[in-house]
Amino acid sequence: MKSKIKYSFITMLISFVMISILAGFIIEPDDTPVALIKKVVKDVTYRLDSDSDVWEDAKAGIPLKDGHEVKTGFKSLALVLFTDGSGVLRVRENSVLQIYGEKEENRFDKNTYIDKGEVGFEVTKQEDEEFKFTTPTVVASIRGTAGYVGVNDDSSTTIMCSHGMIELNALLGQRQSSSVSGGSTARIGTDGGINVSVSSGDEQKTFEASQQTETKKIRIRTNKGDLEIEYIPESE
Amino acid sequence: MGASKLIKGILIILVVLFFCNNSINAQVSDKVSNVQLGEAKEGQALDFRVELQQGASISNITLLYKTFGQTEYKEKEMLISGSVGTLQIPATDISLPYIEYYFRIESRDGAVETYPLGVPNEGAPFQVAVSAISPKDKEVLILSPNKGELVTLGDLFISISLMKATDNINPIATKLYLDDIDVTPMAMFAGELIILYPENFPGTISTGAHKLRVDLYNNLGELYHTLSSDFQVVTSQFAEAVASKFKYSGNIQGESRNEQYDDEVNWYNNVTLNFNSTYSDWDIDAYGYVTSEEKAYLQPQNRYSVSAKSDWLELKVGDSYPQMPDLIMAGKRIRGVSGALKFGFFNIEAAYGQTRRGIEGNLIELIPSTSNTLESDIIAVDSVRYGQPYARVDLGTYSRQLFAIRPSFGARENFQLGFSYLHGKADTESIVLGAQPKENVVLGTDLFVGLDDQRITFTGEVAASLLNEDISIGDFTDAQIDSVFGSDSYFDADPGMIKDIKNYLGNFITVNQYLGPLNPQEFASMAAEAAINLNYFNNNLRASYIYRGNEFNSFGQSYLRTDVKGINLTDRIRMFDNKVFLSVGYEKLEDNLQETKIATTSYETINTSISIFPRADFPNITIGFTHYKNNNGLSITDPDNQNYAVDDATNKFTASLSYEIEVGVKHSTSLSFLTSTREDNSLFNIDANYMSTSLSVNSYWNSDFTSYFSAVIYTSEIAGIEYNYSSISLGGKYRMLENKLELNASISPSFGDFERQAFDFTGEYFIYENFSLMLQARLYRIPDQSTNSIFGLMTRIGL
Repeated sequence: MKSKIKYSFITMLISFVMISILAGFIIEPDDTPVALIKKVVKDVTYRLDSDSDVWEDAKAGIPLKDGHEVKTGFKSLALVLFTDGSGVLRVRENSVLQIYGEKEENRFDKNTYIDKGEVGFEVTKQEDEEFKFTTPTVVASIRGTAGYVGVNDDSSTTIMCSHGMIELNALLGQRQSSSVSGGSTARIGTDGGINVSVSSGDEQKTFEASQQTETKKIRIRTNKGDLEIEYIPESE
Repeated sequence: MGASKLIKGILIILVVLFFCNNSINAQVSDKVSNVQLGEAKEGQALDFRVELQQGASISNITLLYKTFGQTEYKEKEMLISGSVGTLQIPATDISLPYIEYYFRIESRDGAVETYPLGVPNEGAPFQVAVSAISPKDKEVLILSPNKGELVTLGDLFISISLMKATDNINPIATKLYLDDIDVTPMAMFAGELIILYPENFPGTISTGAHKLRVDLYNNLGELYHTLSSDFQVVTSQFAEAVASKFKYSGNIQGESRNEQYDDEVNWYNNVTLNFNSTYSDWDIDAYGYVTSEEKAYLQPQNRYSVSAKSDWLELKVGDSYPQMPDLIMAGKRIRGVSGALKFGFFNIEAAYGQTRRGIEGNLIELIPSTSNTLESDIIAVDSVRYGQPYARVDLGTYSRQLFAIRPSFGARENFQLGFSYLHGKADTESIVLGAQPKENVVLGTDLFVGLDDQRITFTGEVAASLLNEDISIGDFTDAQIDSVFGSDSYFDADPGMIKDIKNYLGNFITVNQYLGPLNPQEFASMAAEAAINLNYFNNNLRASYIYRGNEFNSFGQSYLRTDVKGINLTDRIRMFDNKVFLSVGYEKLEDNLQETKIATTSYETINTSISIFPRADFPNITIGFTHYKNNNGLSITDPDNQNYAVDDATNKFTASLSYEIEVGVKHSTSLSFLTSTREDNSLFNIDANYMSTSLSVNSYWNSDFTSYFSAVIYTSEIAGIEYNYSSISLGGKYRMLENKLELNASISPSFGDFERQAFDFTGEYFIYENFSLMLQARLYRIPDQSTNSIFGLMTRIGL
């Protein structure tokens, strides 16, 4: 009898530890994450707080809550999925972004702050909810479209719209407002000016590359086992 | 709770008993042995598969189908491969509450019959209930993996979001099932998000296909909704191959078959190739079917095509079935080139090719000019070559080329305006022993306007045709016009004007005395239809008007009902959170538009249907009632016109229910019932009454064994002749040797006026994962008549 109790206790303890480990991502019961990392290629890290210096390695399935930050390294990629099914982000190499979400009754407003890098997006049609991208120079409101947002080293921003329409409000200088529609690209300078024109061939290619999530793998056989390296192939 | 379960149980039993106490419906045919359908769900494409008893004797199978309240059947030719015909009808054609369908089967000897027999006149078509998409589906989001996704074990995690669920859902009561195993204890609940990481539970998920089920419960602990999905766990090598820019799949199948039917024994051989690939945004596909039944004296039996498709371009070379506005071109096979350029604001679709090939006629006897030459199978022949000016022949078939083009403006989101032109012409040089080569021109325009997110749509289509019934003599010459037209000639018309008309029309079609219509001012060759759809307050209201002149003809259409006009009104009402659908329809048509008949017949139809999808532990039920009334006002006591009197009325009642029962294991059951009574008050008095009941049960004993049972009882009396039979079918599918061998066997005896015993067996052995051998055997015994058999050996190689 005693051994049974002991066995049960050990089992429960192991279960508890296991659940704690798998919830290494520490989820509070009533706190629904804003997004999930769906796929990770190479060097992708995340942190729970921008004040923290600790960047943890990300893996598929990591939940991202309000304020969580994601960073990709050289030749790396992260696929981020919003938990309300409203959209998917393809975070390209050398990018840093923060995810924000606020739920009020049936409304779930999302905002993604892109500090640097390039993010491809696909957003389903939003009814009354907000889906925004914020960069150091602009706030872009999305209703339902695909495209990419690129933030350059000087914080100027490029936003390409594949279809539908995106509303733009510059944050600096002249604080111009404009919109960009399907097949066009907006360039927002640090002076707050917005320049919209038909997307160039290069911008179109960048968009296509921003939609790409497929990777290739190199497998090296050694006498100690196989070594697998996953990478994103160069766009043609 | 106990009482409600008891009442529910009693209700189910009563419903089942009610249906079982009636009799009817089983379909007999010596052409079709089995029909299989995919799941009929609103807004999802539906697959049809027909297994033929004598595949080699059949030249063509066409599926004809229509949704509730539609005036006429749409037609699509099925793709025949060996003894199987397949077809997918598009999602846009699948709507509540049901689809009626039947098959038209053309034999090599030219005979045509339908399955079920006698549709659409005496017989009743099949009916399949269409289930509704639940708005509750939108309350559960399966974030990962996506439906059908191929994912490696390392990348796999399961995530369900309930952020869209209503407040009466209890998220923590949600149950997750993986391959019917409850995996909820392994999942983490984070607010309205549920996540399961299989890597924390090694061995839980293996490579292969998996089914995921999510059961949602409300705050009272009652099952609220169930949603299912599927995915495949694959090795990283496989995932890598799939993820490469160029993806392909395909298979080659070879079949050798022996058919013995009565005293006739035949061997048939065929090879089928299927190849599908994608490269970036392009889909590139190829299909080939080569059969030993390809004969010069028949229309083509082989099929081949290569196609490329992207967002803006579609191109198909070989056999294709181009689709343009229904009045112009629908479901007709063309061997040539077809395609479309789609730019959104401007699009163009075109097709060019052969719709039938030339087949030379046979000379029976030569006939001198002194004999009677007015019989239909006597034609003029080259007297130098044959020695006589006339011959009696088995008429051949001229080859026919067809060209169709449709430029359109607008992406059809809110607006599209299209213009169509079709020209079809027989090649008079393609054969010698033939008669009446024809030529056809059709011009049309179509319009689509969608407002308020397509809650209001207006569609309109108008087309006019010209048909020349015999172009063998070519155009009128000016001399012929001068001799026939003029104030002193047969026709008092200005010859100059006639020549101008000929010169203008001659650019499009051969102009001679066989060109019609002769009465264009009466819109004899015009066809038009217009419809408005309103989708508000859970009502889908449609009102349409059609007009088809008696001489409208398009070579791009296999069959179009002409000489008819009238209105059609339908309303489909969604009620009780999409659990109940009420459909009502009224149609009034009449013929004799150009007064070419003795009297005008009116065709009146009243249609009603109710579908109930309780989404709980109770059957899905669809009940329908249709009343047809045809009358042309002539009396059977009128001695001059009594033979032409039309006066009949038909009442048709249908019901079907489907139910999944858990008794030890899962059983999918369905029961359908049909009764039809036709009262014919014409002189011929062809009263027709029939009833049909069918029951089927599919039982899933375990992952290796599935059994099925069906029973059909049919009774009919048509014009005083009774025909009654019953039929049962019992079979099963069993997988063994680690899924390498799959055995399938069934036995189906029929009793009564249709007496037959059928035995089917197939065994498929997978030598490798992508290489299998299949043996097929079918025996049909008709007591005191014959025992017929089909034996086939098939091999399939996956690429």
